[in-house]
Amino acid sequence: MKNYHEPLQFHQKTQVTSVSFEGLIIDTDASLFDWKKGDSIYDIHPFFEILSSFIEDHNGGSESYNFPCIHFEHGDDERICDVSIQIDKDISIILFDYTLKYSDLNLIAQQKNESILLSKELELKNKYLQEKEAFKNSFIANINHEIRTPLTSILGFVEVLEKTNLSFEQEELTRIIKRESKHLNSLIDDMIDISKIESGTLKVVEERFSFHTLIKGFEESYTKISEEKGLVFETKIDDNIQEYVIGDRTRVYQVLNNLLNNAFKFTEEGSVTFSISKNYQRTNKLNLNFKIEDSGFGILEENIPHLFERFTRFNHDKQISGTGLGLAIVKDLVDLLNGEIKVSSTPDKGTAFNIKLPFKFEVTKNTTQERKKKKYTLPKTKRKFRILVVEDEEITQFLIMKILISKGTFFVDIALNSEEAISYIERRTYDLVLMDLSLSKTDGFQTTHMIRKNYGDPYISEVPIIGFSGKASETARDKCLRSGMDDFIAKPFEQEELLYKITKQIAKKAAD
Amino acid sequence: MKLSKKVVLLGHFGVGKTSLFRRFVDNEFSEEYKVTLGVQIKKKVVELPDGRELSMIIWDTEGHSDSVEDTRKSYLLGSHAFIYVFDITREETYKNLNEELEYLQKNYTKVAAKVIGNKLDLVNEKETTAYLEAQNIPFDCLTSAKTNKNVQDFFSDLAKEITS
Repeated sequence: MKNYHEPLQFHQKTQVTSVSFEGLIIDTDASLFDWKKGDSIYDIHPFFEILSSFIEDHNGGSESYNFPCIHFEHGDDERICDVSIQIDKDISIILFDYTLKYSDLNLIAQQKNESILLSKELELKNKYLQEKEAFKNSFIANINHEIRTPLTSILGFVEVLEKTNLSFEQEELTRIIKRESKHLNSLIDDMIDISKIESGTLKVVEERFSFHTLIKGFEESYTKISEEKGLVFETKIDDNIQEYVIGDRTRVYQVLNNLLNNAFKFTEEGSVTFSISKNYQRTNKLNLNFKIEDSGFGILEENIPHLFERFTRFNHDKQISGTGLGLAIVKDLVDLLNGEIKVSSTPDKGTAFNIKLPFKFEVTKNTTQERKKKKYTLPKTKRKFRILVVEDEEITQFLIMKILISKGTFFVDIALNSEEAISYIERRTYDLVLMDLSLSKTDGFQTTHMIRKNYGDPYISEVPIIGFSGKASETARDKCLRSGMDDFIAKPFEQEELLYKITKQIAKKAAD
Repeated sequence: MKLSKKVVLLGHFGVGKTSLFRRFVDNEFSEEYKVTLGVQIKKKVVELPDGRELSMIIWDTEGHSDSVEDTRKSYLLGSHAFIYVFDITREETYKNLNEELEYLQKNYTKVAAKVIGNKLDLVNEKETTAYLEAQNIPFDCLTSAKTNKNVQDFFSDLAKEITS
C-alpha cells in the first residue's frame, strides 16, 4: 500500500524538439519519444494541431505557451508530460515527463472522486428506496380502503342475517362467514400497522384509561375461549397496580391481545397464565411486567431468534390461521412504547413471553371514579326520526337502511351525491345526516361545509352530521370534526356502534 | 486544404466526459470510472454533408469540482467549440450552468458553446426534459454514452455548425 505522506519522486526526463513553421521536425533528442527529423509534428499526435492556430496568430514576436499534464500514447503505455512551446524564429517544443508524479496524483484524485460519486450514488439509491416505500405505504392504505368497503357490507349483513330465523346449518354458515370476515378485517389492520410502523406514521398516544377494565376485558374474552378449548385460564394481577394509568391503550391492548391470542392458538391442552406485576414505580412513572405463559407446542431453540421477523411461521398446521405478521407487530409496538419483550420456550412444554411496558399515572387526582361510556336514549316522541344517508355505494346504502329500518324508529332517505343531499335537505327536515367522506365530485367535507355555511335556517345548518369512511384513523376523525361534522364512524362499523352514535347525536341535539 | 477544429469537453468530474469522448472517437464504453488528470486528446475524422472531411480534435479535460473557471486556460486556447457536459442525475453538476455559460460566452466570444446532459440511460427522458426546462437549465442535447443515444448525432451536428 502506497504511503501518500512520502514525498513524490518525479524522476523527470525531458525531450527538446525544434519544429519549422511548416510543422516539420528540424531536430529532436528523442529521449522520450522516438521522433524523426523531417516528420510532420501534426502527424505525431493530435495535441500538436494546436500549433497551427499559434502559427496563424504569430506576429513575429516571441511567444510561449505551457500545457501541463498532457497524455501521450507511448506504445501500449502512455507518458504524461508538461509541454512548453516557444515560438520565435522557429518553434521549440520541450516535453517534461512527469508520468510518475501524475500517476500518484491520479490515484489520489481517483480515490477522492470515487468516494464523492459513491456517496451520491448511495443518496440516489436511498431516495429511490424511499420513494418506493412511500408508494408501497400509500398503496396499502388505498387498497385497505377498497377492501374495507365491501367488508363493511359483509359484516353488516351477517349481523342482520343473524337476527332472522335461520336453520341450524344456516346459523353455522353465518357464524363461519362472520369469523372469516373478522379475520380478514384483522389482517387488514395488521397490514396497516406494518405500513404505519415502516413509514414512521404510527404515533404513540397518551391517554388515561382504566387498566383494570382492560384486563377484565381480556379475562372475559379468553375465559370463554378457554372453556371452548378445555383449557385452564388463570389471571394474576398485582392489586397495587393503579386503577387508571396513562399510556396508549389501543397499542397495549394490541400487544397483549396478540400474545394471548397466540398462546390460545398454540395450546391444545393444559393452561394459559396471564400475570401482571409492578416492576417499579417512581413519582408518576410506572413500569409493569406482563407474563403470558402457555403449555403449548413451544418453539425450537434455533427458531427463537427469528420469532419476531415478518412473515415467520414455524407451525405449518393449516388449521391454525395467521400471516406471520402478529409477533413482528408486537415487537415493533413494544419498541415504540419504549418497552422490552423476551421469550423463553421449551418444545412440547410451552412458551413464556415477558413484556415490560412503561406507563404514567396521575398522582393527585382521585382515580377511583371510572369514566364510563355515557348512555344516551332517543328523545320520547311519537314520530319517527328522519335520517339522510349520503352514500354512493349501493351495498352500504342497503346495509344502513336495513340496520335503521329494522329498529322501527327511523325513516331513511338516500342521497347518491352532494347535489342530491342538498336537494333533500332543502326540502325536508332531518334529525341526522350520515355522510360518506369520499363521495365523487363534491366530497363529504365540502358537502358538510355547504350545509353549515349556506343556510340561515338552523334546521338545516345545525343538523347533526356523522361522517363515515373506510379510512379509519385519528386524522380522519379530526378532519371530520374540523370540517363541522359532529362525529365520525369508521367502516366496517358494528351495528351497535352505529346506533349508539346516531342516538347520541340526536339526544344531544334534543337536549340543546 | 485540411480542415481541423478543436473541440473541448468541459464540466464537473464524473459527468461522463471521457465516456462521451471514447464513445464518439472509438465507439467504446466502460462502466469503470477512471479519473482524467490533465487532458487527453484524440482525433476523429468526420465526413461533412458537402463531402469534405473534418478532423475533430477532441480535448477531454480534467473535470472540475466547482467552476469551469478552474479549468486551465491553456487548454482552451485555439478552441472552436466547447461542450459543457453535466450529469442529469447530479444537480450540483448543472445548478450553476447559466453562470458557467455566461463565463464562457463572455471570455471566448468566438467559440461555440454547447451543453450536453449525459447519463440519459438512468432517467426517464420525457420527465427529465420537462424538469430541466422547468428549472430553466439550458441544454442542446441529452445523451447516453453508455447506450450511444444521441452521441453520434450530436457530434455530427456540431461538426456541421462549426464548419458552416
